[in-house]
Amino acid sequence: MEINNYVHVSLEFGEIEKAHKQFCQIDQLISGGPMAIVKPEMKSYIWLQTADGSIQQVEEEVAMFCPVICRELLQNGLGHSKNCAVLLPERVNPASLGLILDFCRFHQVPGRSNKERKTYDEKFVRLDTKMLCDLASAADSLQLRPVVDLTSRALARVIEGKTPEEIRETFHLPDDLTEEEKLEPLRNMTDDPRIRLLNRLYARKRKELNERKKLKNVEVEEEHRVDERSVDDLLSFINSGDQDSKGVRVTKNKKKSRGRKEQARNSSSNNEAGNYNKESNCLTSGCLNGDTSCGSSPSRNSKLQNSPSAMFSSKLDLDDFDIDDELDPARKEEIDREVEDFARRLNSVWPERIQQILSLGQERRRLGPISMNGNGSLKRCTAGVDRG
Amino acid sequence: MSHSFPEQVLKHLFSFLTSDKDRNSLSLVCKLWYEVERRCRRSVFIGNCYAVSPEILIRRFPEIRSLNLKGKPHFADFNLVPEGWGAYVHPWVAAMSRSYPWLEEIKLKRMVVSDESLELISTSFEHFKVLVLLSCEGFTTDGLAAIASNCRNLRELDLGESEVEDLSSDWLSHFPDSCTSLVSLNISCLGSEISFSDLERLIARSPNLKTLRLSQAVPLEKIPDLLCCASQLVEFGTGAYSSEMRSDISSNLEEAFSGCERLEGLSGFWDVVPAYLPAVYPVCSRLISLNLSYATIQNPDLDKLISQCHNLQRLWVLDYIEDTGLQLVAASCKDLQELRVFPSDPFGPEPNVLLTEQGLVAVSDGCPKLQTVLYFCRQMTNAALVTIARNRPNMIRFRLCILEPRTPDYLTLEPLDAGFGAIVEQCKELRRLSLSGLLTDRVFEYIGTHAKKLEMLSVAFAGDSDLGLHHVLSGCESLRKLEIRDCPFGDEALLANAAKLETMRSLWMSSCSVSFGACKLLSQKMPRLNIEVIDEMGPPDERPESCPVNKLYIYRTVAGPRFDMPGYVRIMNEEAAP
Repeated sequence: MEINNYVHVSLEFGEIEKAHKQFCQIDQLISGGPMAIVKPEMKSYIWLQTADGSIQQVEEEVAMFCPVICRELLQNGLGHSKNCAVLLPERVNPASLGLILDFCRFHQVPGRSNKERKTYDEKFVRLDTKMLCDLASAADSLQLRPVVDLTSRALARVIEGKTPEEIRETFHLPDDLTEEEKLEPLRNMTDDPRIRLLNRLYARKRKELNERKKLKNVEVEEEHRVDERSVDDLLSFINSGDQDSKGVRVTKNKKKSRGRKEQARNSSSNNEAGNYNKESNCLTSGCLNGDTSCGSSPSRNSKLQNSPSAMFSSKLDLDDFDIDDELDPARKEEIDREVEDFARRLNSVWPERIQQILSLGQERRRLGPISMNGNGSLKRCTAGVDRG
Repeated sequence: MSHSFPEQVLKHLFSFLTSDKDRNSLSLVCKLWYEVERRCRRSVFIGNCYAVSPEILIRRFPEIRSLNLKGKPHFADFNLVPEGWGAYVHPWVAAMSRSYPWLEEIKLKRMVVSDESLELISTSFEHFKVLVLLSCEGFTTDGLAAIASNCRNLRELDLGESEVEDLSSDWLSHFPDSCTSLVSLNISCLGSEISFSDLERLIARSPNLKTLRLSQAVPLEKIPDLLCCASQLVEFGTGAYSSEMRSDISSNLEEAFSGCERLEGLSGFWDVVPAYLPAVYPVCSRLISLNLSYATIQNPDLDKLISQCHNLQRLWVLDYIEDTGLQLVAASCKDLQELRVFPSDPFGPEPNVLLTEQGLVAVSDGCPKLQTVLYFCRQMTNAALVTIARNRPNMIRFRLCILEPRTPDYLTLEPLDAGFGAIVEQCKELRRLSLSGLLTDRVFEYIGTHAKKLEMLSVAFAGDSDLGLHHVLSGCESLRKLEIRDCPFGDEALLANAAKLETMRSLWMSSCSVSFGACKLLSQKMPRLNIEVIDEMGPPDERPESCPVNKLYIYRTVAGPRFDMPGYVRIMNEEAAP
């Protein structure tokens, strides 16, 4: 009988067997078995007390459904009067108790179909999140496994698909992971004095720019959600003569959780798994020939910087900043030279570069053809086709 | 949730959340949940094996039962990643053999697997059940023999499209007689002979076998016998589908196929002799998945077959299907979700079949559930793309491969910017996109503006300037993988969007215009990225810094630079490391 699922929750209790027998007897009384002459008033009640002191009376058969209460009643002989009520665990508050007892009351009745029970269960967990949590906690302390399961599943459905922020909000949890912890401990790459120096220089330059902007009273744009601690400031640093502050926004030096900063264990959507079936792309071979389109203009740099989509916030990376470090002037000079060198090259005229690319391209070997049958790798390619 | 919420209930609750995305979210909620989650995580997916190390994995997740690991970048499928690049699984297997005695599943894609690794797997994990090797290489049938011999509870052995060196045909005999647990066996990639008797006996003693994909070496005549022992199959891949015409084969075949009442998927069909196709007609109406991408059958045989598959959800086929065949698909297969049309003769200068954009338009019109498309063709128009976009705003994966690079709209001779623009604008759930044809920076502007859910983008021979790349990097919020070849993208867009790279899994750029100097600078600024300069022509140091690099592979990592790369790969952060 289905009732077995609910009563035989905790197998340590041999007394459950006894209780079960009692249920059967009561069942017969209720359903009009051979002893049905007994009136319903014969039902016995017991007393339960929750941690806040309030005491409830409940039918014994209902309460016995709970392993913990069952044990208290049978082993310790409690609960038969108001004065020695069964003391329930702290995590059981009156509201949860009420729900639990409802559950027990419903399920301890035999003869219900599986469908009925299932329908009841589905309705039973239609509660707000806080109630579900309290209920799960209470059921766990009363060792009422079915309710723990139901509430856990319901809570899992609440959580499914939510972002960490949303989950935090729903359950009122603290945002206590540090940036580093969210990313996993990294190798400490910043011991290299060259890097520290570079970072310091960038920081200084950025500070200078900030100060200049403050003086000019530029509006502060809201920071992007995604961490674009990018090299936009590097570009402005490189074009250091360019005082134009339009391309750069002032930042708030606030550590913010980066959007999808997670490391490799990136969430796999289903299509990742699905994509393993053979695929190939239209990537036929072909040398770069002379008709590479190079619609470039010398104003490319500024075009990029001033375009609306290039306006993003930059973030000061203070992780590596060590003010107390000694500055080696020779080193500083070297780095300055490096950066200037690069800036010069970066600002060089485009056509020159394209020529380089084109000449390299013509020497480049003909890249291998794609799969014959389109089912992916060339490895399966026979017929002596050049595999480049 | 109060602070007294019991941890065991939290753990129990977590057990109902199994998707990687949800698990990742759980771990980022707060310190307590991070701790609880990591201790009970059973399954991990690592999209880039170099983004994290085995040690980090093991330290964080002590209870892993299933590992899914990917190695080489996708463009390795087109031979763009040279031999010896990396993606060796052995360090992972070695580390896990010491720390995960309860490991049950290893799923790999594009990794190098040695026989030594396979042997180690077979002897280290008592409960090992699932081995999936997709597009892997480096092992032989000896390694498979070890797996067969030692994995007592093997349920799944899937060799995908791996390259396996066939040293002996009898590795199948290494499955002990007591092994009856097989549920899935895919040996379709094996080239040489196998022992039929071993195979037959293995199949006969595997009552739970649901998926069986044979290799080409298994002749048609053997299929009736095999299917008779395995009439419970759900997915079946034939071997070579040809034989000297003998009438009894046909009827035996038909009987055998009819006997498989649960069959839902068919594949294989190498060297098809059309006369034997009618043998599968009895199962067509039940088929959900049909892979004819090796089948060189043409209309009307092809038509006749497909028109009977009314419940088809997935169809992979060669372009012999032509526009007319696709129109038939549009009319007959109303449940179609995925269509892949492969080119039968990709290198021929002239089209050999009548497959045009019309075929795809027809399917997009007739199949309301179509959401995944991979389509090779020779011509396209903006109008067709616009129509497809309008018909199927529910498109999720759209990969169009016009065979000749830089092919314009053949009617108007304009670039296909507007067409792809319509796709990204209408298909708001688009997650994967491959571009082809003549394309300017404009198409990237559309993509950056509209493709907010796009996760993977493949680009070749497209764009005019850095602005194109900049649009994508700055606009596509969900972008995880970007692979580019032969486009005029250089330093600026890359440097300007350096931080974006840390939010992505990886970026591949080959035959573009990124300079060596920019790579250096990028690596200095972004210590959490590995910047791999791949140049088979020699170390890049000998050339000026402004010289463009041949191939560039950038990926985020918490494991730092790797040290298992060949001489032609240079990892830029090495300079920075102490």
